[in-house]
Amino acid sequence: MASTTRSNGGLWARLTAPKNRGPLLVAPAIIVLFVMNIFPLLWSFGLSFFNYRANRLKVPEFVGFKNFERVLTDEKIWDRFQTTAIIVASSVTLQLIIGFALAMLFAKHFPMRRIIMMLVLTPMMLSFVSVGVFFKLYYEPTFGLLSYFINFFTTEPFVLLSSSTGALAGIVIADAWMWSPFVMLLVLAGLVSVPKYLYEAAEIDRVSPWRRFITITFPYIKSLLLLAILFRTIETFKIFDIIYIITEGGPGSSTESIAVNIYRMAFQNFRTSRSGALAYIILFIVIVLTNLYLYSVNRRAAEEDL
Amino acid sequence: MKLSRIHKQTLTACATAVLATGLSTQTYAADVTITMAAPDWPPTRFMKEHFDKTYKSPAGHNTTLEMDFIPWPSFYERVAASLTSGEQKYQMIVTDSQWLGSFVEGGYYMDLTEEIKADPELMAIMEDLHPALVSAYSTYPHKSREQLEAAGTAIAPDTQYYGFPQFPDTYVTFYREDIFCHEGEGAAFKAKYDATFPCTYEDWQDVDWERYAQIGEFLKRKKGEMLAGETLEDDFYGISYQAGKGYDFSSMQANAFIWQHGGSIWDETKAPEGQAEGVVNSEASVKGFEHYLSMIPHMPPVAKTGQMDIFVTQELYMQGKVATTIDWVGLGEPVLDPKTSKVHDKSAFGPAPGLRKEDGSIDRTGNIGGQPFVLTTWNSDEIVKEALNVVKWWLAPDTQLEAVANGGQSGLKSVMADPTYNDLRPWNRAHVEMIDWQKDVWHIPLFFEMLTQQQEEFDKAITGQQSAKEALDAVAEFQQELLEDDGFIE
Repeated sequence: MASTTRSNGGLWARLTAPKNRGPLLVAPAIIVLFVMNIFPLLWSFGLSFFNYRANRLKVPEFVGFKNFERVLTDEKIWDRFQTTAIIVASSVTLQLIIGFALAMLFAKHFPMRRIIMMLVLTPMMLSFVSVGVFFKLYYEPTFGLLSYFINFFTTEPFVLLSSSTGALAGIVIADAWMWSPFVMLLVLAGLVSVPKYLYEAAEIDRVSPWRRFITITFPYIKSLLLLAILFRTIETFKIFDIIYIITEGGPGSSTESIAVNIYRMAFQNFRTSRSGALAYIILFIVIVLTNLYLYSVNRRAAEEDL
Repeated sequence: MKLSRIHKQTLTACATAVLATGLSTQTYAADVTITMAAPDWPPTRFMKEHFDKTYKSPAGHNTTLEMDFIPWPSFYERVAASLTSGEQKYQMIVTDSQWLGSFVEGGYYMDLTEEIKADPELMAIMEDLHPALVSAYSTYPHKSREQLEAAGTAIAPDTQYYGFPQFPDTYVTFYREDIFCHEGEGAAFKAKYDATFPCTYEDWQDVDWERYAQIGEFLKRKKGEMLAGETLEDDFYGISYQAGKGYDFSSMQANAFIWQHGGSIWDETKAPEGQAEGVVNSEASVKGFEHYLSMIPHMPPVAKTGQMDIFVTQELYMQGKVATTIDWVGLGEPVLDPKTSKVHDKSAFGPAPGLRKEDGSIDRTGNIGGQPFVLTTWNSDEIVKEALNVVKWWLAPDTQLEAVANGGQSGLKSVMADPTYNDLRPWNRAHVEMIDWQKDVWHIPLFFEMLTQQQEEFDKAITGQQSAKEALDAVAEFQQELLEDDGFIE
């Protein structure tokens, strides 16, 4: 008995020894991470090599890379990738333009600047569902505000979401409305970091505003702009909520992004394994994008060190 | 030693007897909780309220019905996620009939055939249920009404039964009496089309799709024009029916047109010989779908976006933007509520229009709505017995009449034949007339995949991106390949 006690005491003492306290303290977090993230991730990765469907009792069969092959040779999937690319390119460009313009505006001091800036920042603090419902109602041709205003001039209801182009524009506008303030914040951080004496020197040298922007302002905001582009590209690539609420991917499938397609495949059609394969392909793309970002940030840091 | 053994045996016997008595008493008055997944709307809300007030367990249990009210838009996903995750949360589920295959094949819904056969009360209920409902809500693999009626017995041989009606729904016409019974409008309509402007229920019984289209054209008015003696403050529209991309919000109406024109959807009762190609996109089916599309231009502009689902049509009607809509009976209650509807005191109900046949009669074949409720497979015998008691309570005539009076509906022939039934709610007469025309869409596990693709193709046609033929050709091709892959077509 005494021996057992001594042995337990020894174990406890060893566990709580100063050199083990660090691992002991992070252990709960590691366990939670493993159970909640890593294990499901590995499990779903494993499933993507089977023909498993969550609503069937059949024992899953190993099919190797067949799911990956089917996904990558499916025209429908490539069509959804194309739609996603259009949305990403249009929305991120619009966010950059608006965000940049807003940042230039708020870099100057004017009355009620803080209050107006707070209002401008509001959209990015809203939930996706709120923004989706807001724009769905805004675009609604019978009750919606947009149609109401346009009706004044045309006397006809304005039906934005009836065509592929209109619906894509509707999605892009909603996404850009929500996330342009984020770009603005990042650019603004760069703008306020530019030392004032550089502008003063440029003014003495009578440098044109464009040249002042290219040689003084842009170098300071370049890395933050890149950060904004990459953050927004990765996020917009995964766009789901706004599309699902405003158009449900329609008309037809013209606004169905790859994320909406995965959702349908996994949770409506129960193609569990195939959707897993597609999700891992998307994860791979996101990892590539993230690494591109890290590479550019590291290169920038290395340049600054020199 | 011997005495001691006898003593032990006596003690054991006494102990067993005491234990058995105790256990049986415990079983007799057990606390039973049945958790039911249910869509959040009046018919299920009423069920919960009425259960709490009136239910008394025939087995003497203290039974609690826990309703997990789930909003309609996420109902399928939530139920599917719960079932496939294996959490075994629900003992009963209100389910769309089309999900039967998916969740029966998944091993989640309980086959009740033997329980029904062994229980005279349940057999009586099955005999009293309208055959269209038994076919759509209960059988899997699906048996058509004709197949069940041909069997001639309440429980057909080689047929598995799973569900009972929780809320049997049909679509009917909601219309504005202040417009349709306006003398001036009636006279103008008569002058233009040489036809009766439908005002009474009997008038609506004679409305076919041709007349419905005329109503759409006639009542489409611009802001500032007159309508029923008043100047319009907004644009106004005559007709509406579901034309939405989500869930089944165009198929349910489009199927009616296809069937009425003599076309067909893929018939699961003919598997594996029944084909999709050549059937789904037959000439008659295309004609039916073209007919469905032909009325979209007369509808509120949201129809052109493919977002005019059953809730949007209901809202447009309640806000006074449209003169008539074809919608589910289950969505009728808010129309009569002054808190939610601007037309609560101006609304009346009639049967849904249909296609006039050569003999002058109207074919109103439609796609059934509503939901059955089912039991899950992990329930103990005690729960199964009590859940079936709940089924019997819900389908008892008294409960059904109460449900009907409070926004529910009944599928029992005896209740629908009750002399008080038609007066309980203003749409009841139309519901009885419509229920006989009901058929259902597919029940196989591939249902959602087929539906999603069909909705997508229909949506392209509704929004003018392709013709009816192109849409049905694409649907047929997809279904043929999918069903062949899964062995439903050989």
